[in-house]
Amino acid sequence: MEILLIPSLFALLALFVPGKVVRVFGLVGGLASVILTCVLVCKFQQNGGQAVTFFELAQNNFGFTSKMGYDGIGLFMIILTNVITFIILLSNFNREVAQNKLFTAMLFLMQAALLGVFTSMDGLLFYIFWEISLIPIFIIALSFGGSDRKRTLTKFFIYTFVGSLAMLASLIAIKSYATSFAIEDLMAVELSSKVAFWIFGGFFLAFAIKIPLFPFHTWQPSTYSTAPMAGTMLLSALMLKMALYGMIRWMVPLAPEALNDFQYPIIVLGIIGVVYAGVIAIKQSDMKRLFAFASISHVGLIAAGIIIFDKENLTAALIQMFNHSLVAVGLFLSVDILEKRMGTRKLEELGGVAKLAPKFGFMFAALALASVSVPFTSGFIGEFLLLKGLYSYHWVVGLIAGTTLVLGAVYTLRAYQLSMYGAPKMASFEDLTWNEWLAYFIIMAIIVIVGVCPQMIIDTVGPSIDQLLESYKISNTIIK
Amino acid sequence: MDALIVIFLSGLISLFVAFTKKPILVLLTSSIGILAAIGLFIAQWNNPVTLFSYEGLEFTNSAILYSIAVCIFGLFSILVGYNIYSKQPEHTGEYISLMVFSLVGAVCMLAFTDMFMFFLGLEILSIPIYVMAGTKKSDLRSSEASLKYFLMGAFATGVLLFGIAWTYGATGSFKLTEIATAISTASETGQSSILYVGILLILASFLFKVGAAPFHFWSPDVYEGSPNTVTGFMAAVVKLGAFGAFYKIFNVAFPEVHGFWAPAIMVLAVVTMFIGNLSALSQVHFKRLLAYSSITHVGYALLTIITVSSNSEANLWVYLFGYGFSIIALVTIAQLLNDDEDKIDAFKGLAKRSPFLAAVAVLSLLSLAGVPPLIGFFGKYLVFSEAFTQYPILVIVAIANSGIGVYYYLKTIIAIFQKEDVSEEKIEIPSLQVVVLSICALTILVGGLVLSQYKFL
Repeated sequence: MEILLIPSLFALLALFVPGKVVRVFGLVGGLASVILTCVLVCKFQQNGGQAVTFFELAQNNFGFTSKMGYDGIGLFMIILTNVITFIILLSNFNREVAQNKLFTAMLFLMQAALLGVFTSMDGLLFYIFWEISLIPIFIIALSFGGSDRKRTLTKFFIYTFVGSLAMLASLIAIKSYATSFAIEDLMAVELSSKVAFWIFGGFFLAFAIKIPLFPFHTWQPSTYSTAPMAGTMLLSALMLKMALYGMIRWMVPLAPEALNDFQYPIIVLGIIGVVYAGVIAIKQSDMKRLFAFASISHVGLIAAGIIIFDKENLTAALIQMFNHSLVAVGLFLSVDILEKRMGTRKLEELGGVAKLAPKFGFMFAALALASVSVPFTSGFIGEFLLLKGLYSYHWVVGLIAGTTLVLGAVYTLRAYQLSMYGAPKMASFEDLTWNEWLAYFIIMAIIVIVGVCPQMIIDTVGPSIDQLLESYKISNTIIK
Repeated sequence: MDALIVIFLSGLISLFVAFTKKPILVLLTSSIGILAAIGLFIAQWNNPVTLFSYEGLEFTNSAILYSIAVCIFGLFSILVGYNIYSKQPEHTGEYISLMVFSLVGAVCMLAFTDMFMFFLGLEILSIPIYVMAGTKKSDLRSSEASLKYFLMGAFATGVLLFGIAWTYGATGSFKLTEIATAISTASETGQSSILYVGILLILASFLFKVGAAPFHFWSPDVYEGSPNTVTGFMAAVVKLGAFGAFYKIFNVAFPEVHGFWAPAIMVLAVVTMFIGNLSALSQVHFKRLLAYSSITHVGYALLTIITVSSNSEANLWVYLFGYGFSIIALVTIAQLLNDDEDKIDAFKGLAKRSPFLAAVAVLSLLSLAGVPPLIGFFGKYLVFSEAFTQYPILVIVAIANSGIGVYYYLKTIIAIFQKEDVSEEKIEIPSLQVVVLSICALTILVGGLVLSQYKFL
């Protein structure tokens, strides 16, 4: 429970802390969560990877149990959330927004909501946290975002809210067959294939919008480029992972009967996203938009991998989710550093930064390489395994998905080259400050460590994935 | 029963206390009276006290639950309206005691056991509101609202009386239980068509009272023209009273012919949702927006009337309870903004001007939109999930409508956070308003989570 209480408490206190110490307060809060996470991981390892339930109320009259807990996958998402939140706080430390009480409070609220999403073991509770998470990000983007934010954010909010409502409809529908909202009860429900189709479809709409998959992505580039740096980081590194996590934990296990109907379309949409967004990214001149499209391209691959739903692909998808979060935070930090110091993020107005700011040049280059999945970075492991899985699903799919490597290299390196090399277009460029450097360092360290020994992650999530697949298989054989 | 008398007496006493020209005394007597009534209601939970051997009123648990909510909203309306009323010390007594008398009517309407008492309650509830809607005497729109509400209301009452008469003709009784028995005995031989005419007429007048399509045309004008406090009172108290009676008449007296009236309500619920939502999209005046959004909410609440389930009545209560807090908070804030034209633009920059008001406004709007974990979400969830097994398509239409609705709530929220070209002037909030708004915010925030843990009825 403390895992949720700490961020909530910090969110509340942040509103009353004197203005000068807010940013330090924020950093302390982020650190507290990270330390707590370490403790949880140790405990979890000691107990041999047993699933933990840390909160449960008696089932109320409409089957709401408010059960919360985590297994390996949940713990993995907790680690991701807390580490990323800390990095976001750290990289914002010297920005103006970090002094703002509202901003810090909303960031912690967001963290709490995300942790809630990842630890909910009750369908309605999951939905509640899922929706709560929309509010802080909306307020952050609205209060601190760039121009044209009214229109963009209205679109964003309505888009995701409507998607969530579809999920609510699915939850209400599946609950009408079950005794309570506890995940075991919902999973035990046997559905006719027609009902399962609609329930799966409702979840899919919610998740496809949030990920975003190809035809549902239109809110994403404009929202990413309007939101302030922290907002974009939250959106790309954490919010979108909620949807991918939701696919693994809720969508498929709850309505496995419909998996066969949806598997092919989702893979196709994912692959279209990979190529389509990759090609558009190549032509972008706004760096933030470029990385926004790159994000669509990467997550399309992850979604396609998840929906194959076997052990290898799920593990790979989780590793790739982890990698994508770190890389996205790093890349958006780089964009923001350029934008803050140059006043623009247009590629044609940038250039030659590497000469003036070698530390920044090095870190950005390392991240760019991690983003194109060079061996010894975590991106390599995840992407390689995912492509392998897609290839064994069907070789054409694997082949088309494989273009992500080429496209990724083109748009990332183009962005890097145009912004960092060539003749300097400015007189001076302030190199990394300590907090930016530290943020980069943490990101790179984790990327390389995971890239060299991904077994850590596989060991954490492996048993839980086995369990998940087993229960999925049982419910599937009953149907057949 | 004794609580009803206490409310009535407190209204009467406040009327006489007003001769002292000390508004504060009026406020005290009326608030103490209502609080005492709430206390009495709570004490009578599960053990109703009957004074006299009068059978027209019966305070069952559900009547008590609804009455408590009505009293709370009535009290809030009086508290937030006090600052305005006390500016005219010679009229304070009238305004406040009219509201209290209206409450008496609402309570009668929730506890009746026969059509006669119901009719009395409805009139006692409505007539003070016709007057109150016109209390902004310098404002033409207020007079218009008053006249419009009165004419339409009187017409609807006529229709209702007509319906009651037809029903009496078919069943030979005013008592709800006797009507039900008469209908079920007649169901073997075939119902008389007189009964159906009666039900339809009663239905029409109820739809008018709650503001459902196609009888909703009065509500935007009346909401807009009335003083804010009265708008809040109408949206919270009158809706609760009317819906409570609506549920009772149709599910106690007419359950046997559910197949006759349920399809009609079903169609009208859908029409109501769409009309409310689509008209609200392009509104620029805040109270008109609230009026259209309230039409939509009526559409959702109508689902409970047709859902056959033992939980429906409690669900309806939770829904309207949450709705009332949001609406009272919003009209109070609109009143504090003091914009004569009542534009949504008046909310611009509220986050800067008063963070407290902005927070309450955002919470209320999100609750109306149905964002969890606010109380509005739980109300909606309970209504929808209960109806789902019987009317799956209808629920999906309703959920789609919640999606449309989020647009106009969002428009207001975005205005609240606007930073460009806004006035910097801070807003003074009187302490009564702070208390009411804090209670509203707290209830909206945790009320849903708390209420969902219990089963009341």
